[in-house]
Parts: sequence; structure tokens; C-alpha cells
Amino acid sequence: MPVSSTAGRIAAHWRTAIPTALLLAVAITQVVLARVADLSPWKGGGFGMFATTDGTAFRYVRLFVDAPGRSEELNVTDSLEFDAVRAQLFPSQRFLTRLGEAAGARELRNGREAATVRVEVWKVEFSDQPLRANERRLRSLTIPIDRQPTAK
Amino acid sequence: MGIELILRLTAVELLLRPMGPWGVRPLILAAAGLALLSPRTLLSSLTWYVLTALLTARIIADWPLPDNHIYLLTYWCLALALSIGATDPARTLATNARLLVGTAFLMAVIWKALLSPDYLDGRFFRVTWLTDARFTDAVQLLGRMSPAQLTDNRQNLAPYPEGAEPLDHNPPPDPAAFRYLVLMSTWGILALETLVAFAFLLPRGARAGPLHHLILLLFCGVTYAIAPVAGFGWLLLTMGVALCRADQRLLRATYVVTWFLVLFYSEIPWANVAVSWLSTRSGA
Repeated sequence: MPVSSTAGRIAAHWRTAIPTALLLAVAITQVVLARVADLSPWKGGGFGMFATTDGTAFRYVRLFVDAPGRSEELNVTDSLEFDAVRAQLFPSQRFLTRLGEAAGARELRNGREAATVRVEVWKVEFSDQPLRANERRLRSLTIPIDRQPTAK
Repeated sequence: MGIELILRLTAVELLLRPMGPWGVRPLILAAAGLALLSPRTLLSSLTWYVLTALLTARIIADWPLPDNHIYLLTYWCLALALSIGATDPARTLATNARLLVGTAFLMAVIWKALLSPDYLDGRFFRVTWLTDARFTDAVQLLGRMSPAQLTDNRQNLAPYPEGAEPLDHNPPPDPAAFRYLVLMSTWGILALETLVAFAFLLPRGARAGPLHHLILLLFCGVTYAIAPVAGFGWLLLTMGVALCRADQRLLRATYVVTWFLVLFYSEIPWANVAVSWLSTRSGA
């Protein structure tokens, strides 16, 4: 009897413990990533939405292309939008590289030279009394662009 | 009836807000639609395990873009799958609902009160009310701010380059009603979320009482009138239904009515209608 009631209690508890344990594990990971890797507090499953201005609205990316005889800022086009939003919300090496490579590949596809693409992630911070906005660069990464050998 | 209603509300929510990349979205819609049409599918654990897997795939494919309620919806689908297989599904589901609501709100409180650098001093809501176009009507209605004042404030909040300081920066003072709105939203939401977190998590294992239902209904009725995240409201209200005992029919009906209220909030621009009506009246 005690064995079956203990087993029953365990059976009842694991069904209620697993969802909340998952929530907590993801939320703690989100807090750590927000602290050490600039993940936006609004995202990542930590329930930091409506807690800070540091969300999608106040982060943005800038792209700069360099090549012999060329150095200019690129627009974030629709085709780069998903990678750009991803990089601005979590400016990890991986997401910055993916965005830079996509921007570089787009330049080459359109017949423009691109040796490197620099990806910068910026955020807007607000000071109090008087309320004022200032821009701050969060991360920057320069990605070399490999020209793919053309098929013969 | 109780658990079926909860499953149906969850399926309807999945249909009302299609989500995910093309490889996942049709599967979520198909599973949710099938659950609504077939009682056997609705009451099968497998349906909810599949939906949990699809929602997880959606989160991974789009990470970190998905909103927080998509994570909560995923945990909830898992809780549904696990509870259906339990010896007492309704009770297991009620415990899951309490723990998930309490823990999610606890995290929201930790972010606002301890981790965020700009919440407690009112900066977050001051900036959000002024700059987020989705709240323009609400700011005019509740903050008594004219469209011209709002435009001026938005221009004053144009960012300066890193390290730059304006020579002469004297923005006009905010209207008293707007300062009150910032104060009330900052502390009102924090107080309500703290109350929900502690009421739902303490004491451990207790059943939901009138206080739980009152604060959850109050939170959803007030917050989602303004916050444009109906999906979060529906999910919390569905969990509220899960907290009702079998004999609490009126309470369950109140949750369902509030569920529809959140739907109407999201589909009817009530603040815009009120602002237009007030301006017509004052003009006359």
C-alpha cells in the first residue's frame, strides 16, 4: 500500500512538475543570455516583456560594405529583414555572421563588389529627467565575403 | 465539460493566431482544427503532444523572435497532454495552470522589479506611451494628451548620437493626467502581477479560491484592453477555466465572457472610437 501510494504521488507530481520546470529552465537561461550576451529582455521566454525599453522598437542594425574603391552603408532590404531582426534581438557571433554573409551575397548577386561587410547592432537608451534618447553601439562584427567560384 | 472546454479554447486560440514558418504553420492549424471537429482527437494526449512538438519547432525555427506567450502556450499544450493521461485530469490540469501562471508572473515581476534598469522610475511606460503608435489613442484618451503634444514629445525623443549632448534641451512638461497614467501603469501593473504571482504560488498545493479568480480576471480585463497581445490574455483565461471546480459554472462562464471581451478588445479600436466621440462632442 505505501509503495503504491508513493508511486501514485510520484506519478501525479511529474505530470505537474515537468511543464513548470521547463518554464523555469528556459526563463533562467534567458536571464543569463540577456545579462551576458545582450539578448533583448523582451524575447527568449523569460517574461521580460513590458519591463524595459530594450525591445525590438529600440534596437536596430547598420550594415557597411567595403571593397576596393567602395565603402558605404547598405539598406536593410526585405530579404535581409528576418536575419536583421534576429541579429538585433540577439547579437551573437552566429547571427551577426549570418546577416553579414547574406548582405555580402546579395551585393555580389547584384554585380557589386564586396570584400567585407561590417554589421553593427545599436540600441536606443533613455535617460530620465529630462527624458532623452541616446544611441549606443552594442556589438560590431566585420565579416569577410568570399566570392563563390563561378560555374563553368 | 470542464476539461473539454479548456481543450477547445486552446484549439481556438491556435486557430485565431496562426504562427510559425510555412513548414509548421499548416500542421498546427490542421491539428487544432481537427481537435475542434473530432471529440476523439480533442481528448487524445497524442494531439497535444504533437502540438507541443510543433510549437517547439516553431520557437526553435524563429528563435529569438517568438513572444513569451508562445513559450507559455507550448508548456500549456504539454500540460494538457500530461494531464489527459493522469488519473484525475481536471485536478492535474488545475495544478499545472496554477504553477504555470504563478511562475510566469513571478518571472515578469523579477524582470520589472529587479532586473530592468528603466521600469521602476517610470521611464519604460513614459517612453512606451509616447512612442508606440499602438497606444496613441489610449494616451490621448487616458493621458489627456493632444495629437500636437504627442508629436512634439515624439520629436523630443529622437535619439542623439552616442555621447552627444543637446545645448538646450527643455522639453515641455507632461500633462498631469499623463504623469498619473505613467504612475498608475507602472505601479498598478507591478502590484497586480506581484499579487498574481504570490497568490498562485503560495501556499503550495492549495486549491484556487475567490482571490485567485478575482485578480486573474481583473488583470486580463484591464491589461488586454490596452496591451495588443490578445493571445496572452486568452491563454491566461483558459488557464483560469482550468482552475474552476466542476460545480463553478458561473465562474467558468465569467472566464469565457472575458475571453470574448479580450477578442473584442483586439478587433474593435475602442479607444479610437472613444477619442473620436469625445472630440466630436467637445467640437459640438
